[in-house]
Parts: sequence; structure tokens; C-alpha cells
Amino acid sequence: MNALDILLALSALMPPAALLFGRWRGYAWLAGMVLTGQIILLAGCDLPLAAGMNLEIFGRSVGWRLDAFGRFFALITLGVALASTVYMGGEWGERHAAGGHSPRWLHGALAGNVLAMLLLLSSQDLIAFFIGWELTSWAGFLLMAQGGEKALRAALRYVPYAMSGAMAVLGGLALTLAWTGTLDLAALTGIMPTLDNTKLALLLALFGMGFSIKMGLLPFHLWQAPAYAEAAGAGTAFLGAISARMGLFALALLLVKLMTLTRVADLAFIEGLFTARDLLAWVAALTIVLPTFTALKQNDARYLLAWHGIGQGGYMLLGIVIGDATGSAGGLLHVFNYATYQAALVLAVFAVMHRTGTADLNSLGGLVTRMPLTFLVMLLGIIGLAGLPPMNGFVSKWLVYRSLMLDGRPLLFLMTVIGTLGTILSVYKLIHNTFLGQLRAEHEQIREAPWSMTLPMLALVILAFVTGAAPGLALSWVAEAQAALGLPVLAYTLGGIESPRGNLDMLWIVGVLFAGFGIGALLFYGAGGRSKRVHQLDNYAGGHFLSADVRYHYSDHFYAGLMHRIGPFYRSSFTRLESAVAAATDLAASLMQVWYRQTVPALTLLVAAVLGLSWMIWK
Amino acid sequence: MKMMELLLELTVMPLLAFTVGLFMVLMMRKIAAKIQRRVGPPLLQPLYDIVKLYAKETQSSHGLLHDIGIVMAVGGYIAAETMLPVPGMNGIADKAGMLTLAYVTMIPSLGLALGVGQCANPNGSIGIARALTAMLAYDVPFVVIIFGASWLYGSNNLVEVIAAQQAGGIASWGVTQMPLLAIAGLFTLYAMLGKQPFEIYVAPAEIATGPMVEMGGKHLGGLFVMQCFQLFTASAIYVSLFLGGGENWLFFIAKLFAVVAIPMSMAFVFPRYRTEDVLAVVWRWPMLLGLIGVWLVMR
Repeated sequence: MNALDILLALSALMPPAALLFGRWRGYAWLAGMVLTGQIILLAGCDLPLAAGMNLEIFGRSVGWRLDAFGRFFALITLGVALASTVYMGGEWGERHAAGGHSPRWLHGALAGNVLAMLLLLSSQDLIAFFIGWELTSWAGFLLMAQGGEKALRAALRYVPYAMSGAMAVLGGLALTLAWTGTLDLAALTGIMPTLDNTKLALLLALFGMGFSIKMGLLPFHLWQAPAYAEAAGAGTAFLGAISARMGLFALALLLVKLMTLTRVADLAFIEGLFTARDLLAWVAALTIVLPTFTALKQNDARYLLAWHGIGQGGYMLLGIVIGDATGSAGGLLHVFNYATYQAALVLAVFAVMHRTGTADLNSLGGLVTRMPLTFLVMLLGIIGLAGLPPMNGFVSKWLVYRSLMLDGRPLLFLMTVIGTLGTILSVYKLIHNTFLGQLRAEHEQIREAPWSMTLPMLALVILAFVTGAAPGLALSWVAEAQAALGLPVLAYTLGGIESPRGNLDMLWIVGVLFAGFGIGALLFYGAGGRSKRVHQLDNYAGGHFLSADVRYHYSDHFYAGLMHRIGPFYRSSFTRLESAVAAATDLAASLMQVWYRQTVPALTLLVAAVLGLSWMIWK
Repeated sequence: MKMMELLLELTVMPLLAFTVGLFMVLMMRKIAAKIQRRVGPPLLQPLYDIVKLYAKETQSSHGLLHDIGIVMAVGGYIAAETMLPVPGMNGIADKAGMLTLAYVTMIPSLGLALGVGQCANPNGSIGIARALTAMLAYDVPFVVIIFGASWLYGSNNLVEVIAAQQAGGIASWGVTQMPLLAIAGLFTLYAMLGKQPFEIYVAPAEIATGPMVEMGGKHLGGLFVMQCFQLFTASAIYVSLFLGGGENWLFFIAKLFAVVAIPMSMAFVFPRYRTEDVLAVVWRWPMLLGLIGVWLVMR
């Protein structure tokens, strides 16, 4: 047995173990130890590595083989699963179980997701890929459905999306077999780019649609925010941080390794002006901007983060579609960076919910003094999500910006920056409405979240900070993934990149930033008079003393001026499109039913006659 | 030796920026006074103000974050100054680039926003909501300008952008090479400085000075220091992108003051835009000019 066999075998053991022992308090720690072992094993093994297990389906060999590209995603998956499992293992899990939910199913669903994703990430051929893909979808559904009735409804909304995506992928798989005679990914690498443009475009459309649904790319994104937001806390963190990235993994595999970006750029809608590659770049850019501004309008912290999750996926795809060493490194690095701070942020929101019972941004406020560690996690997390120094989110976004600047794409560059600025506004609202402003009287006695919750959150943001100050640590994995995928490899340093057209050295930038803060602190605390600390509830505004029973926290309709200007652009167009597609499908299904059951034989006869006559005339 | 020189530069650059910024505040007040037919403050008044605010006996803090917000606001700008080349000193400009500089300058705004939020005064929060909206307004054309300059000079490194302009003389200055972007940049700089008609977030009449509502003593003193840095930073970025940077300190300071004097000469005769109008005007005119300017540069 090699490392991949052990990895997959351990992951295969965990779902039944969770279903059997998930109620036991020590299970989470056991699962945590297994996940830690898997991370160490995976990080230390030499790649590529083929699994000893091989199946034969319809006379075709089905196997698993992990390369550095798959390992990059697998490490993130295991890391996020570890944080979520530890979080589940303490007080949060007890509360979840006391609420009538099953800890066995929650642990089992999480372990099932890990297994499914590892199978997908190490697939050697399209059959193994499809098995992994479907398992990921259904395991994802199971995890989404663990949060109660609302969660189940949101998860059910995902089902038609997932099934449409699966059908599209299956269609692509069948056409690939028909046109190339193979389903082996290594063999397809040489054959697929040689297909003619029409065939390639059809494959791109089918596979692209299937993968985009999982990733939540526009216009297939509507299912994602409610499905992720309503799931159970630790499940939400896992889903939000890595689940949708399986779609990105598949898209990157398709666009870069199987089809090659050069061939994708040959598929022109307007010759020389607008190609399939441009279309993908614009879809990615719109996925950055539109969901970000939808997030800005949310009043539930979980939904706000889930919508940002959709938007952040756009940066990842955009970097990969640009395809140069800098951009693709930025896109891939953003998968890791995003997972670290998004998981931390979601866990922080659920820590607040654990103590206050709500994630409603109009029912919180002033918790910074009650839950300082959770506040610190959210502060560092939002700096990462907004893409500001010194957190790692800045580095990956910087690489994408830089690539767009070098590639001469001003409008796409502008879209990415608008997305970032929108995120800054949105995350400030998140932290302001939760932790700043007025403390509600009913929250005066609230305590900090327990260590089982704060520890994984803090570990995640520390990781996000360390890889922000020294991005070279994560870029080494990224460079290996780039090489495995066939992308140009980024020449990186521990602090960032050195390039004749502009360097980035985060070690210096972060060092100088903290030196600046140090001097700022010296000036503030060392000079001048002493300030008297007033009580948090000792407030006064507009010539009037404010007491705790008067609600004066400015939270609702936070960006009134901005909304006055951009409000008319929120037209729910995608929701209407979804309804229209659902209605059209319903109509088609009704017609098919009429046809199949022969409810109106005359109609059947009429349609058959019209089709027959049309065929004869055409012939 | 090189490391010692660099450390010396990192110490001196923020100090010089602060000193120049102090005199910019003085100039701003003098211009206002001239327009309003007053005498205006004496030479060292900005310094006296800071000393007075720091030394006040009665000072109140709404909590640690209230203080840390001010530390971040001042500290963020101290760091930003080391990424902004001045005559004879480059600091860590070649390790950061103008895009990084643009993002580092957002940290003080975030610090201020956090500090104000901790004060739990709804008027302060309204002011921050408006200030962040204004930031969204002016940063969009600002990055378009950065894109244009980066494309024209083939580098994201401000040291190289300045060197390229100085090597070719006035004919290769940004203002000559990309005049539309220079106009858009001046407009954006104006909005960035937050003076009339772009000072809605202060709104002294209806939200009682906005973000500054709970600031007094050292907290307000810190914001005063931040304003000095902000004036210097905004004008130095403009001079570096469009006016060839500083060949020497004399020319550099003259250019900096001229750049700040233009919007300040107009500011005090204006009323102010509402938040949504700030967005409309900034996203329309400098954006339009900026995008046409980028198109011309890339042609």
C-alpha cells in the first residue's frame, strides 16, 4: 500500500466510523487525529502517486492517481475538515445534538465529503472523475441538509442544479468517448486539443456548464448562498471554504490540461475580438462583482459570507483563465487563502450565534468587549476577505491584478478592484453590526466562545496571517500545482515575487506596517495626557444620554447613500431567469407527460403528422 | 551599510512627510482664510493644534479598539510613506509598487472606521458609512489611473515610473504623455482629500462631524496627524505619476504644494454633494476621462 492507498482507505473508514461512533464525545478528536495524520502523510509523499486499487467498469479500467495539482486541493480539503471537526467536537456539537440534530450524520456527512473529494481530486480517468463528481454532489447535499428544515429546503433547491450539471458532464463524457475513443485523462491531454472547433465548443459548453454549477458561476449561482448559509455551523464552514472549489478544480483541469487555454482562445464568437476565453474571463469578472454587491445587501451574517464565497470564486477562475504564471498562481493561491479566512469567518459567525442565538446583523452589536477573541478572528478574517495587507488575501488578489495589468485588460482589472472595494464595504458592515456600536442589554452577560471553537478559528487566521507575511510558504505548493497542470510556473520568493515589472516583498511590507503601528502606538500611549476609559454603555449623542434600553445602533440600511444610487440595479434578474427556466421545464415535462400517457391522442397524431410532413418537405 | 541606509530612510521618510503635511494644512487654512477675507492662522498653528490636542487634560476613550483605530490610522500612513519615493530616498518602494501602496493607504481608513465603530455613536457610524461609500467612489477612477500609468511606463514600480519621466524631461512626464488621465487624477485627488464639495461624511450640520463626533484629545490629535500624512501621500502619488516626481526637494515641494493648492482654491467656495451625488459625479467624469485616457495610452 502506498501513501495514496492509505489516504483513501482512512477516508473510506471515517464515514462508517462517524455513523457508528459520532455520538461519542471523543470521536471528533479521533477524527481530528486521523485528518492530521492524513495531512502529514499527504504533505510528505512524493508525487505523482497511483493507487493500488483499480476497477473495471464496462470493460474500461478505472483508477486513481494523485498529482501535485490534486494534492494542493486535497491539503486544503483536509485542513478545513480538521478545523471543522475540532469545532464540532466541543460545546458547539453538544448544543447541536441537544437541538435534536444528529451528530453522527453531521460527522458522517463531513467525512463523506472528504472521501468524495479525495476520490475526485485523484481521479485518473473520466469514469473515476464522474464517480468522484457525483459522490461530491450527494455528500455535499447531505451536509447541506443537516441544519434543519430551512437547510433541507435550500439543499433541495441544489438538487435540480446538481442533476442538470451531472447530466451535462455525463453528456460531455459520452461525446468525449465517442470522439476520442478514450476516457483516460493522460491520453486525452494529447487528443482533446486536436478536435475541431465545433466539437471542442460543444464539450466546453457541456463540461463547463456542469462544473460552473458546482462552482456557483453566474448564471448558475442562485442555489449556493442559501444552501451553504443554512447548513449546520461547522458544515457551513467546510462547504463555504472548499466544496465549491471542486468546480474550479474541474474547470482548471478541463481548460488548462485537457483542452489547453490556447485552443479555448481559438473558439471565437467574434473573430479576433471575443473568444471563449474572453467569455470565461467576463463570466468570472461578473461573478466577482454581482454576488459581492448582493452580499452587501444581506442582513444575515451567514448569507453575507456565503454570497462573498461566490464572488471570491471569480478571482480564482479569472487568474486561471488569464493563464500566465502570475495570474494562474494568484488564482490557485486564492483557493488556499480564501479557505483559511472564509472558514475562520464562518466559524466566528457561528460562535456569535452560539452565544447570542442569532446571525441577524440588525440584532447584534457591541460584542467586542464580550467576545474579544472571536472579534480578533473576524477582524483578521475580514482583512483577508477584503484583500488588504497584511493578510494572505491581498497577495493572491495582487497577483491576479498584476496579471491583468500585464495582459492589458483594464476593464477586467477594474471589475476585480470594484469587487474588492465592494467587499471592504460589506465586511465593515459585518464587523460593525456584530462587534461594534451599541451592546444590547440582553447581551451584557455573554461570555467568549469556548476554546474548542476559538482554537480552530485562531489557528486558521494565524495561518492566513503567516502565509500573508511569507506567501512563499504557500506559493511552493502553488508552483508545484502549476507545473502539474501544465501552466507556466511562478518564480517566487519567500516574501512574494521578484519581477522586472514590479516586485512584491510581503516580509518587508508587513514588517514596515507593524513598525508603523508600533510607532503609532508609541505616539498614542507614550505622548500627551492620559485618557479615561468610559464604560461601553456610557454613551451620549445629540445632546441626550443614551441608556441600554434605547436602541441606537446604526445598522439597518447601512449604506443608504450607495443604495440610493445602485439600488435600481438590483432587479432580481437571475431569480426571474431561474423561475422562467423552472416554468419552461415544467411545461416541457407536462407536454412529455401528455405525449407519453396519450392523454390527448389527437395531439400526438397532429405532432407526428406535422413532423412527418416537415421531414418529407425538407427531404 | 546598505541596510543601515535603508533603515535610516525608513525613519526619515515618514518624518519628512509629516512635516510637509503640516505645512500643507497651514496652506489649506491660509487659502480658506484668503477666500473668506480673514488673516488666517500663524505659521506654527497646525503644530500647536496637535500639541494642544495631545496635551489635553480631559480625554476619554471608549475602549481599546477606539485607541487602536487611531494607532492603525497613523501607523498605516507611516508605513505608506516608506513606499513612496522622495528625492534621494526610495525606502521600500521597489519592494511594494504602486498597487500595494494604494491598498496600504486603505488601512488607515479601516483603522478609523474600527475606532469610530467602537464609540457606539450612531452619528459616527453614519459618517463612516458615508466615508466608505466615498472611498468606493474615488478609488475606482484611482485604480484606472494606476493602470494607465503602469501600462505607459511598463512597470508597477514607482521608482521606475519616476526615473522614466525624469530621463525624458517634461515631454515624458505623465501629464504630457497621458493628459486625460492627469485631469482625471486631479479630480480623483480632489475627491480623495474629502474637502468641499466631497465632505459629506463630516456633515457638521446633520450628523455633527461624522467620524470625528467622539474624537477629542489624543484621538483627534491622531486624526490631525493622519490628515497631514494624507495630504502629503495623495499629492506625492500625483506628482510621482504625472509631474516627474522630485528631481530635488525644492522642485518636489513646489510641485506638491501646487497640486494641493488647486483643489483647495476651489473647495471653499462650494457647498457639498450628497453621498449618492458624490458617487454619480466621480463615477461619471473622472471615470470617463480615465477610461478614454487608458484607451489612448494603450492604442
